[in-house]
Amino acid sequence: MSYQVLARKWRPKRFADLVGQEHVVRALSNALGSERLHHAYLLTGTRGVGKTTIARILAKSLNCETGITAEPCGVCAACRQIDAGRYVDLLEIDAASNTGIDNIREVLENAQYAPTLGRFKVYIIDEVHMLSKSAFNAMLKTLEEPPAHVKFILATTDPQKVPVTVLSRCLQFSLRNMTPQQIAGYLAHVLEVEGVAYETPALSLLGRGASGSMRDALSLLDQAIAYGEGDVKEEGVRAMLGAVDCSYLFGLLRALADADGPLLIREAEQLAERGIGFDSALSEMAVLLQQISMAQIVPQAISPDEPEYDAIFALAGLMAPEDVQLYYQIAVHGRRDLALAPDEHAGFNMALIRMLAFHPLNQREPAPAAVRAQAPLAAHAAVAGREAMDQARAKLAQQVGGTRTPAATPRAQAAAALAGSNPAPAPVPAPEPEPEIEPEPAAALPLPAEAAPSIAAKGAEVADDDADGREGDVLPPDLPDYAMQDDDEIYISADELPQKPAAFDGNWLALVAEIGPRMGTVRMLAQNAVLKSWQGGALVLAVPESFRHLASRDYQDKLRTVLAEHFGHTLELSVTVEETGAETPAMRDARNRHELRQEARVVLENDPVVQQLVREFDATLLTDTIQPAQE
Amino acid sequence: MLYPWHQADWARISSEFSRLPNAWLFTGMAGSGKLEFAEHLAQALLCDQPLADHGACGQCESCRWFGSGSHPDFRRLSPIIEGEEEGKEGKPTRKLAQIKIEAVREIIEFSQLSSHRHGQRVVLVEPAETLNPAAANALLKVLEEPPDDVLFLLVAHSPQRLLPTIKSRCRQYPLARPSHEMALAWLKSQGIARAEIELAHNGGAPLFNHDPALTALRDQFVAALAAPMLTGMLDMAELVDKQKLPLAVPLDWLAKWLHDLAGLSLACRLRYYPEHEDALSSLARRARLPELMRCQSAVTTLVPYGQHTLNVRLQLEALLMDYLKVFA
Repeated sequence: MSYQVLARKWRPKRFADLVGQEHVVRALSNALGSERLHHAYLLTGTRGVGKTTIARILAKSLNCETGITAEPCGVCAACRQIDAGRYVDLLEIDAASNTGIDNIREVLENAQYAPTLGRFKVYIIDEVHMLSKSAFNAMLKTLEEPPAHVKFILATTDPQKVPVTVLSRCLQFSLRNMTPQQIAGYLAHVLEVEGVAYETPALSLLGRGASGSMRDALSLLDQAIAYGEGDVKEEGVRAMLGAVDCSYLFGLLRALADADGPLLIREAEQLAERGIGFDSALSEMAVLLQQISMAQIVPQAISPDEPEYDAIFALAGLMAPEDVQLYYQIAVHGRRDLALAPDEHAGFNMALIRMLAFHPLNQREPAPAAVRAQAPLAAHAAVAGREAMDQARAKLAQQVGGTRTPAATPRAQAAAALAGSNPAPAPVPAPEPEPEIEPEPAAALPLPAEAAPSIAAKGAEVADDDADGREGDVLPPDLPDYAMQDDDEIYISADELPQKPAAFDGNWLALVAEIGPRMGTVRMLAQNAVLKSWQGGALVLAVPESFRHLASRDYQDKLRTVLAEHFGHTLELSVTVEETGAETPAMRDARNRHELRQEARVVLENDPVVQQLVREFDATLLTDTIQPAQE
Repeated sequence: MLYPWHQADWARISSEFSRLPNAWLFTGMAGSGKLEFAEHLAQALLCDQPLADHGACGQCESCRWFGSGSHPDFRRLSPIIEGEEEGKEGKPTRKLAQIKIEAVREIIEFSQLSSHRHGQRVVLVEPAETLNPAAANALLKVLEEPPDDVLFLLVAHSPQRLLPTIKSRCRQYPLARPSHEMALAWLKSQGIARAEIELAHNGGAPLFNHDPALTALRDQFVAALAAPMLTGMLDMAELVDKQKLPLAVPLDWLAKWLHDLAGLSLACRLRYYPEHEDALSSLARRARLPELMRCQSAVTTLVPYGQHTLNVRLQLEALLMDYLKVFA
């Protein structure tokens, strides 16, 4: 007989040999004793806690020749055959490889026949969570009312995958994880019988390493015996488990607190040389960070007999609480990304570098600081926002109409600017004078009176548009950012616009602003084109080189149709590709938007409340994230 | 075949021959020759007249069968590369490599029959991470209690991705990683050009696909990264797409580049591109860290789709735009 691994050799043969699981054993023993037997059992629990083992012992208890008993004799033919795995009336089915309905049908067809030798026909269906849906459903009727001589025992690690209709037909026992002490005790017993020398601390290390599973523990023990060439020593087990010695982690965190990058990466390299798994290193690091955070917030929660008590508190003093939180997050996420990195070492390095990047010393830009300053400002904006809305809207209309008034209510505008978008604190320079804003070209030109409201509304849309575009835009920096503005979101109901056919007065900008929303796909062309000449019903447009694709015949035809609808008669239209340098509607919109933003910034910087926040709470204003907000 | 850095491991494993487990799980960094080690072990287990150190003799009938890949008592479970049979328009298909449940069922049947040569039977699963969930679950029962004289060898470079129920049934054996000198010496003995640079690029793993055409493309790609310009980026995306490479390849290059960039700017350490140290350090001075981190997470998000049929050019362009923003 060849060697058998410990986990198989030491599979318990009686209920008395089981470690833990008293609650299950007691319930089963009592049921067996009083012969109040359910016809279907479901055993659940993590790997290696004894599901299959209990199922087999139960099968023996039911079929033992000494009668139905909680203590099968282990010597009768039935018991010995079950132990050897060749008892005819015990059908152990691997549901994970026989997942289909046909496999189950085959099994159930045989259920009606009486057992050959024993009292009961016992079906152990292991890994039952992998059965297909139809296979489960095919089982239902038999599972609910099986013949008197049939017992089902289902076992799975994953009861969530089992349908409720199956769950409700079974008596469910959930097996508990074993404690490290229970495991260590059992390992000691195994080693004594096997005649292998051991050190007790090594066993408790193994007990912890097995995380609640006896089979894991026994597999590890096998490995440890091999590793230690016959003995189980603490040192060897520690090396084998790749258990992260806490001193490395403290070294790492200290380097992190000092923002010493080279040292940090050197420490990581040492970890690699020691063969310590990066995955476990990151998870241990998260645990340690959690302890540090505890030490900072509820110091009394850490018991003084914690082995690393002093070191934890020393680190707690070195790091800011919010940094500890951030590092914890990064460690947890880094663990997930480990498998996605080029290799594990790189993933680990990257997590460390990420922590370093957000270290206070490395914040070359104030962006992360925004997170901290955000809360008070946002609250302020929410309060002030609503009342400010109307004023802001009125002001916009005035501004577009060309009669700019000096900012009367700076506070309202600031709030309006903040209300809809991310509040954006940034270092505040000395308040600068109101920037000189050039007169609106749209207003300077003779403008049909009815077009004014539509432009005002357009201003509003533009701001919205900008806010939407901010999230995911991946514009190449070299292209002007007005070039690809997203038109889909700009939407003004056509009914609100004046419908009377008008004569074209040569003002392309105003025309585009007016009928733009109705243009559909050709709007892109109209937005980026300049009117080159306009003579007696013939329009010549010019688009810059970068928009050559818009000058195609297809677009031209569409634009012609739109214009014809607007004016009530067809127009001659041609489009050339050249750089004219003149302002296109898209450029105008972009400029408007820029000016609005500029203004909002000035207003925000001059706002007494903001200034007070800056003075008293050391807040900073991120100017480049300010956006004029609209409803 | 045994690599020089595995000699110590072999000595240890061969001392365990008296206590064979039902399943071994070999772990270790990718590209360090775990598979060859496992094959060596399988051949040794099947050999009719093993040597004194339990190694295979290489002479007997069994070894010859093994060498020609037709040993009746040996089964290999590995993902089928489906691209090969698809000759249509010469397009290599980009597909996920997985071990499917049908293959596992065959293995179960194989292990339940008696052996051809009245000796050990060996099943090699490589890489074990590619077992899909159904296949992994189907393997559980036979892995735990295989019939007599059936031995499973599993090979995995990221064991944390395996089912805990699989890991719990195996005896894990972490294989040693080759030291830098050993790896370098071995590469040089294989006559590989620019061994130092290639080794660094592969993170110290000596076994990799050596493809001069790909190396040339990588050099071009990296040169474009070193001079971040819009046109260069767009050209690169187009070039890579033309080669019909899966997204994983350029992602890997980019991820390594970002790692070095971040490493240089904060820790003065680089790992993958030592030959580009000057370019990297001048870039590192210009790089904005939050954008760099954002770009890096964008790369990480895409990694799971490395073999997917995503439009490589689009994805790569988007990533490279993110990369440009680092220096904007």
